[in-house]
Amino acid sequence: MLRSPILLLLLLIAGCSKGPDADLQYIKQARSLGAEWALINEQAAKGQLTQTYVASMHQWLRQNLETTATSLTQPDSRYGLEIHALLAQPDDAPPAELRGHADVLKHIEDSLESA
Amino acid sequence: MNPLELTLGIMTAVGGFVDISELVFAAKAGSTFGYALISVFFIGTIGIIVFSEMSGRVAAIAKQPVFNLMRHRLGLSLGLLVLAGSVISNLITCAAEVGGVALILNYLTGAPYFLMAIVMTALMIISIWVLPFKWIERTYGLLGLVMLVFLAALVAIHPPWGQIARGFVPQIPAGLSTKELLTFGYFCVAILSAVLFPYEVYFYSSGGIEEGWGPKDMLTNRLTSIIGMGLGSTLAVAILANSAQLFGPANVDPEIPGTAALEAAIPFGHWGLILALAGMFFAVAGAAVETCMANAYGIAQFFGWKWGRHKKPWEAPRFTFAWIALFLLALLIVLTGVDVMMLVELAILFSILVLPLTYLPLLLLSGDRKYMGTNANGPLAKTLGWLYFFIITAAAIAALPLFTLTSGGNG
Repeated sequence: MLRSPILLLLLLIAGCSKGPDADLQYIKQARSLGAEWALINEQAAKGQLTQTYVASMHQWLRQNLETTATSLTQPDSRYGLEIHALLAQPDDAPPAELRGHADVLKHIEDSLESA
Repeated sequence: MNPLELTLGIMTAVGGFVDISELVFAAKAGSTFGYALISVFFIGTIGIIVFSEMSGRVAAIAKQPVFNLMRHRLGLSLGLLVLAGSVISNLITCAAEVGGVALILNYLTGAPYFLMAIVMTALMIISIWVLPFKWIERTYGLLGLVMLVFLAALVAIHPPWGQIARGFVPQIPAGLSTKELLTFGYFCVAILSAVLFPYEVYFYSSGGIEEGWGPKDMLTNRLTSIIGMGLGSTLAVAILANSAQLFGPANVDPEIPGTAALEAAIPFGHWGLILALAGMFFAVAGAAVETCMANAYGIAQFFGWKWGRHKKPWEAPRFTFAWIALFLLALLIVLTGVDVMMLVELAILFSILVLPLTYLPLLLLSGDRKYMGTNANGPLAKTLGWLYFFIITAAAIAALPLFTLTSGGNG
């Protein structure tokens, strides 16, 4: 009996929060997706992957990144712009470029977590 | 003993340990917390060995599958509640596996995801209809062994074996913030839930009855549980350790199932990638079949219908209708376009909530000398059984708050 009101409160808190703290999970996801994209392009350049796999992974990564971008409560923030910059990259973008965006997001993520 | 008799345990374990949820969770656990969560896999593995051995023993001696026990021990109302929870949890899991199979085929062939979901559901339904139970477990269990490529990949990348060995000791990584501690806690609960998924014991105990196990099969049951679950766990730990080595330093927290395949592609190239995807395909397809059949077994056993694949499909019509309908429902969920990973998270959450009520009747009956005679739980099985019952009860209580506070482990 005691658990229900507490859970309701937790859900309300989680559902109502806005701003960088609420966006932290999406920043993390975008950072990871960017880093994953870089890793795939790096391995693809070394000839380690099949073309079908690479094309399919690009499609899913982009789709997840788009979902992440639309979930942000502050899309015009610095991290929002960074995620959009990542989305603007072509599928076969150089790994260093993708990693650069992922690193910026990691930096924002770390500063938010330590705040 | 014929080594092929171990395939029930191998299919149960490969489908349970390296299904779509573990492919992502184990990889994410490794990249986020290094080797620290290996101990949770280890603890969970002992738990699933204890409970699957118990369920196999009860199936062999008392000839009682898990849902029969549930109805008799918990009563109709509570039993129905557990049945409903299990059916929902298994159905969501089955949908996640169907989506996972379609995703993997998309990585392999580039064919459209929804089309692959439809084709694979049809093929899996045909395989259950056509193949006898023994061949279902042999086909999916043995082909799932292609997943061993992940173990080979781990050896090939020369990981720090000392650190991996230390990962077997329960620990909390130093220097975590409160938020990270909560995420670590959520991962512990989610891994325990995924390792102890109830469908594994429903499938395993029903499989024991399908195979006509009796008192003479006690050794087979014990070996099947230990070797099968041990193998499944080893594969999951290999995925975690590969991820800690390859993804963690690259800031990648695997978000989609296809990422895990990179673990074999990095050391072995094209062929590593293809073998990893093929292994994932068979393991996840096995898990889809396992969850669907576990669900149909549960419903049929609870309501006292004729059940089993040792019968012709038309000799157990309601059971046959149940597994086909459940497969089609799972497909319908996938066709709504819902994200597979969201299904995985929901499945994990639902199953941890029903875990205690799944295992309690089993624990009670396996210790009851009236039914089990000399094969009732000994001191070790009794101690471990109750210890794990308290662990999963604590995990069930913590699951929902941790899920909410960490946004499903996303921090």
